[in-house]
Amino acid sequence: MRPRVDVLVIGAGLAGLMAAWQAAVAGCRVRVITRGPGALFWHAGCVDVLGYAAQDTERPVAAPRDALLHLVNANPAHPYARVGLEGVETALSALQQVCEAAGYPLRGDLSHNWLLPSAVGAFRPTCLAPETMVSGDLARRDPLLIVGFEGMLDFYPELVADNLAEQERPARSVRLDLPSLRERRQLTPVTLAQLFEAPEFRRQVAEALRPKLGRAARVGFPAVLGVHRPLEVKQDLEAKLGREVFEIPTLPPSVPGMRLYTILVEAVRQAGGDVFTGMEAVRAEAENGRVQAVFTEAAARLNPHRAHAFVLATGGLLGGGIVADADGHLREVILGLPVQGPESQTKWFRQEFLASEDHPVYAAGVAVDERFRPVGAKGVPLYTNLFVAGMTLAGDDVIRRRALDGVAVATGYAVGQHAARSVQEAMR
Amino acid sequence: MNTWPVELTLDNCIKCTICVTACPVAAVTDRFPGPKYEGPQAARFRHAGQPTPDHSVDYCSGCRVCNMVCPTGVRIAEINARARASMVAQGALSWRTRLRNNVLARPETLGRWGYRVAPLLNALLHSTWARAAAHVLLGIDRRAPLPTLVREPFTMWFHGRPTPRGAKRRVIYFHGCSTQYYEPRVGRAAVRLLEAHGFEVIVPPQTCCGLPLLSNGEFEAARALYRDNVRRLVGYARQGYPIVGTSTSCTLTLKEEAPELLDIHDDDARLLAERTFDLSEFLVSLAEEGESTPVDLQPVARRALYHAPCQYRAHRLGAPSLELLRRIPELDLVESRADCCGIAGTYGFKREKYDIAMRVGRPLFDQVRESGVSVVICDSETCRWQLAHATGVPAVHPVELLAKAYGV
Ligand code: SF4
Ligand code: SF4
Repeated sequence: MRPRVDVLVIGAGLAGLMAAWQAAVAGCRVRVITRGPGALFWHAGCVDVLGYAAQDTERPVAAPRDALLHLVNANPAHPYARVGLEGVETALSALQQVCEAAGYPLRGDLSHNWLLPSAVGAFRPTCLAPETMVSGDLARRDPLLIVGFEGMLDFYPELVADNLAEQERPARSVRLDLPSLRERRQLTPVTLAQLFEAPEFRRQVAEALRPKLGRAARVGFPAVLGVHRPLEVKQDLEAKLGREVFEIPTLPPSVPGMRLYTILVEAVRQAGGDVFTGMEAVRAEAENGRVQAVFTEAAARLNPHRAHAFVLATGGLLGGGIVADADGHLREVILGLPVQGPESQTKWFRQEFLASEDHPVYAAGVAVDERFRPVGAKGVPLYTNLFVAGMTLAGDDVIRRRALDGVAVATGYAVGQHAARSVQEAMR
Repeated sequence: MNTWPVELTLDNCIKCTICVTACPVAAVTDRFPGPKYEGPQAARFRHAGQPTPDHSVDYCSGCRVCNMVCPTGVRIAEINARARASMVAQGALSWRTRLRNNVLARPETLGRWGYRVAPLLNALLHSTWARAAAHVLLGIDRRAPLPTLVREPFTMWFHGRPTPRGAKRRVIYFHGCSTQYYEPRVGRAAVRLLEAHGFEVIVPPQTCCGLPLLSNGEFEAARALYRDNVRRLVGYARQGYPIVGTSTSCTLTLKEEAPELLDIHDDDARLLAERTFDLSEFLVSLAEEGESTPVDLQPVARRALYHAPCQYRAHRLGAPSLELLRRIPELDLVESRADCCGIAGTYGFKREKYDIAMRVGRPLFDQVRESGVSVVICDSETCRWQLAHATGVPAVHPVELLAKAYGV
């Protein structure tokens, strides 16, 4: 059997796409397969690198670099420790470059976390944020106006403003009832984002909004300011309103996440790779310590994907890459890799749902060696050409730590290069 | 290979609305609220033996884009197709609509008699007054891209030529109605290509795969056609011969659509499904087994746009045609970024849906025009007609360019 691709990446979230992009840039023929484009469509579009440190879960991290240093020294099995601080930095700036080139700059660096409002007006510490969001920084205390749209699903400007005001950020809300929206049967974030691409719609919005601006120094919209040219939309609105404008991430489908998805998929394709959706990986075949093929569900039969190297970026417990059996035993779904985590269901959670400590189940994942290859009990890699990235990795509750995206970007980037190297070795 | 019965998948829905944002029809018309509402949500209100509550499901084009993006595997398009079938069974569509749908969904009936008088019939059917009459009386849009009947159907050419000798292996070719009556050039290219690979090509008697009827909710008529094909083809499948098709919707129907929608899961149906391949899928698998291309490919110096039709993506194979086309030297390939051309089989031919179909396809039409290609490549017949109609750029099946590169 002759593999049609060099690297097969399973999963098209941040980790999978970063890995695919890097492997493709390194000259490999890459194919990404994914069940649905899920993860990034749920994504706020920011890169949280480290929002809360283990030793202080109440106060957000102000400077991720220092906290990271502490983290990797304290926990050498942490995914960040495997990549190293320098590796994290390289991966983040690679992502920043590709976004910048696409006209959608991500602002920030490891020296500082932004504090941005969430869809319910909570404070969200995050390291990299799209330019369209940074004026929402809550380190500033100048007054905000939060805008919503009558008929838009799942965005409540009053809630955002009330919660911000309670946290001593002067904020008011307004809901726009635009005639041009009334005739639309449904207003998903994507529908609105498409409308915002049209100058005429922006003019209507600005006109309706101008009398309501009051003392607000900046105006927060749900993150629907255009699909393709958000910067242009933001700048146009700023010019029309005479105020700074920013976006607040919404519930899924999340437009800023989709923008990242589009940028990364395009980067993979530009580098010669393919991305296919609607493909669910169900099992794999291995021989002599190497994965030979991964099979996806297809019409009438399973479809084999042979490759020299494989990247598992299936999103762990969140993404369905790890599931629990009826008896509470955790299982990696494609290869049946051993999962590190609580051994029985009674140990998954702490007594209190909102406990300040981590729930053990969320740190569950696949243990890997220094090249991100899954290992067995003795620390020996189970397969020499299989690499794991993102949420599937063991080592930390990255959700609670607000480190999900940073881990995905950093490990995805590193794994892409490990996979490419392993292909080169196999060819030799 | 779906492990879940269609109806059960609706419980997987997590209401993420991703399908709604991807649905090309919901994006351009307010007549269709989108896959989440029509599929997993409305399905909760549809019960056997009770009137179907919402008729807007008829605006689902069946393109399956929603299935491809759903993160939890809800089989939305199939849920919608079944809902349409119960509308038909319950008489929710007017007799005129059903008559129109049946005319559109039975390409074989016209073809079988019509080719004998093709020039006359073409002149008649394509005349302005006939189109106007069909538009008003039947509801077949006067602007829709009706194909032209040929005088020599594919099988007439095939059986009329000397059988090439010396082949060591066999393959069964499923041509489908369009190759038979409208575009036999696709079948000729496929046969030559397979022969170049050392196959003896067998073309057994076959009928329409039934997909047009399935997508018009005419399940009982589709069942008869499908059963007929199983009966005619399963013997070959049993002998282990691959059954290869050039129409991605026919092969998808044999593989999955028909058995699944009609709930036919007997051994014969399964065997036929397992042995059915799309031509590009088949050729790529030969290469994967280590077989090299029998000839050095000759350059085809053209700039071409490849669009993978919805019905091909629904095979969930990736893009085998693209893999083959990429091997052709000097072929300057532009890849379509669009999900759908709009036509969706018989959908875009219908008076009330023509404009929707054209709006759905607009991004793709724009890409074709802006990319300055001299030809469009697409695996599905109705999509080719739609693309050529909307852009004025000729559209071919991948196998036609491959045959050229093979020099056959
Ligand atoms: S099959 Fe196509 S038209 Fe129908 S709901 Fe799904 S995406 Fe929309
Ligand atoms: S994409 Fe799937 S899970 Fe999400 S709303 Fe649609 S059917 Fe439900």
